[in-house]
Amino acid sequence: MQIFNPINLLTGILSILLLASSCQKDDPVVYEVNPQDILSPTAGKIKEKSPEQFVAVMYANLFGTSISVSDQVEVERLLRSTGDKRLTWELIVSSYMNDPNVQLPDNLIMQQDLDGFVVETYNRFYFRPPSQIELEWWRDYLTNHPNVSTELVYLAFATSDEYFFY
Amino acid sequence: MNRREFVKKAGLTAGLSLASPYIMKNGLFARGAMSSADHVVLVMFAGGVRQQESVLQRYLTDSQGLTGSIYEGNIMYNLLNGQAPQDKIVYGLDPSVGPQGSLPIPAILSSSLQSQGILFPEVTAAGTGHYSGLVTLLTGSRSVTQGLRNRPRNPTIFEYARKHANLGATDVWMVGNRIGNSLPLLNYSDHPDYGVEYGANFIAPDVTFGSEGEEHIKNAKSYHPEEDLGPVNAMQNFLNRSFNRTGSDFGGVRNTEDEKYQLRLFFEEMFAKKASNTISHPPVVINNDMRAVGYTCEVLKWFKPKVTVVNLDSVDGCHANFTGYLRSLHRADHAVGHLWNTIQTQIPEMADNTCLVVCPEHGRNLDPNSILDQNDWLAYDHSDLNATRIFSMVAGPGIDQNLVVGSESNPIGDISDIVLTMAEVLGIKLQVIQAGLTSSSQSLLDRI
Repeated sequence: MQIFNPINLLTGILSILLLASSCQKDDPVVYEVNPQDILSPTAGKIKEKSPEQFVAVMYANLFGTSISVSDQVEVERLLRSTGDKRLTWELIVSSYMNDPNVQLPDNLIMQQDLDGFVVETYNRFYFRPPSQIELEWWRDYLTNHPNVSTELVYLAFATSDEYFFY
Repeated sequence: MNRREFVKKAGLTAGLSLASPYIMKNGLFARGAMSSADHVVLVMFAGGVRQQESVLQRYLTDSQGLTGSIYEGNIMYNLLNGQAPQDKIVYGLDPSVGPQGSLPIPAILSSSLQSQGILFPEVTAAGTGHYSGLVTLLTGSRSVTQGLRNRPRNPTIFEYARKHANLGATDVWMVGNRIGNSLPLLNYSDHPDYGVEYGANFIAPDVTFGSEGEEHIKNAKSYHPEEDLGPVNAMQNFLNRSFNRTGSDFGGVRNTEDEKYQLRLFFEEMFAKKASNTISHPPVVINNDMRAVGYTCEVLKWFKPKVTVVNLDSVDGCHANFTGYLRSLHRADHAVGHLWNTIQTQIPEMADNTCLVVCPEHGRNLDPNSILDQNDWLAYDHSDLNATRIFSMVAGPGIDQNLVVGSESNPIGDISDIVLTMAEVLGIKLQVIQAGLTSSSQSLLDRI
C-alpha cells in the first residue's frame, strides 16, 4: 500500500507553478531611443547627373530661376572644350558668384542661425537634411571660422562629389 | 680572378647594362634611343592635305589641268624648301586693289623646317577618315577601326608620357581648334592600364575663350589660394568624405590643387590678353587654326609642357572650295612657322630643347569631285588610295638637318610611327614598345 507523501505533493505543485510562470510573456522593454535608419543618408544617390542636368539644377540653386536654353548649351559646350571639367565647373560657379542676381544668404543671418543655415543649405544642394554628425561638424567649423562666408560654403557644396549625383 | 679578368668582366657587365635599354624585343638595336629634347610638339596638319599641292609643290598643275612651271611651286615655304608659284596667286592676303588672295604671306622662318630637320615626303596614312587618322597619330596603333564619339582604345602619347616619364597633367597638353569631330575625346584613351589618370589637359580656345568662356567663366572670382580656397577645400573634403562615391567629373582629367591654381591664373591671363589683343597669335590671324596656334603658344609660354599637340583642320574646306583649300594650306604653314619661331625666340626653356613633329592625318583624292569654286576650280574629297599618301617632318636638337628620307616612288614611314618618334625624343621609347600596343610601327628616326 502506497503511503501519501506531502513532500511529493509540494514538489508537484511547485513544479506546476514554475512551468506556468516560465511560459509567461515578458513585457516589451522600451529604452526611449527613436528608431534610426542605419543606411547612410546618401545611399540612394547612385546616378551621376548629366552635364545638362547638372547645369540646370545648379543654376536653379544659385539664381532661383531656370537657366535659358542658350545658356545651357553654352555651358555644355564650355565643359566639352576643357580637359579638367571639375576646374571648369568651379570657374563657372565662381563666375556666377559675381553675378548680382545670385541668391546668397546674408553672412549675418548664417552666424545668427547656424543650424538653420546648414539645414537649408543641405536641402538646397543635396535635397536632404544633414545627419547629426554633419550638423555638428558644420556647427563646429563655422563657429571656429567666422570669416567663412555663405559664398564659400555654397562654392564648396556646388563643387562637391555628392552634388554630381542624384 | 686576376686583375686583367676582373677589368674585362667588369667592362663587359657595364657595357651590357648600358646597352640593354636599347635592345628591342625583336633583338635589333634601336638607333638614337637617347632623349634629344625635353619637349616635343606635334602639329596634326591640317585636315587632309593632298601631296600634290604640299610636298610635291605642283600647285595648280596636278589638280586643275594647268600646265607650265609658272603654275607650279611651293605655297608652304615655312615648312618646305622651294620657290613659290609665279602665276595665278590666290592663296595669299586680299589687297585693297587687285585680285583676291594675290598677296602671299611673308615667310616667318629664315630657313625652312625642312632645312632644319628631316622630311619624310612619302608616308603611308592609316586610312582616309579624319578621326581614325587622328587616333592613329596619337596612339601609334592602326590595328582598330575607331569610330567617332569613342575615346581611343589604345593609349595616347599623353598617357605614355605621363605614366612612363612620371609627368603631371599640366605637363601634357592638347589644343583643339574646335570641339567638333570628337576632338575633346582625344586627350586620353579607354585603355584599362592607362586612361583618364594619365590624360592630358585640353582646351579648344575658340570655345574656352570664345563667347561661351566670356559669358560663363571670364568673370570667375580670383579666390585667394589660402584665405578663400583653403576653407573651400576643407569644407569640400568633409563633404566628399561623407559621400561614398567619386564622380567621373564628366570624364575630365584631374589636376592637383597646385596645377588647378596655375590653370586658374592662366585662364585669367588669357581673357586679359584677349581683351588687350596681345595673345601670341601669328602675324596673320584669319581662321580658328591660327587662333589655336596662338593659344598653343600661350600654353607653351605658361606651362612649358613636355608634350603638346595642336590640331589644325581648315584645309578640309577642300571638299567644296579648292581656292579656300590653298589659302588654308598657306595659312597653316604660316601658323606652324609662327609656332616654331615663338618656341625659339620667346620661350628660353624650350628654345633648342624642343622637337617639332608635323604630320597630316591623311591626304586627299587623286581625282576631283564636281564642285567648282569662284575660280572654276574643282574640289577634292578624301576616299581613295591617293588620300592615304601623306608627308611627315621632324626637327629639333639631335635631329639630322636638311635630310630627305624616301620619295614618291620609295615611301618610307607610316603615320603610326609618330608616337614612337615622340616617345624616342622623350626617352620612353622602350617602355612604349614594351606596352605592346604599337606592334607594326617604329620611330621615324629608326627608319633613316
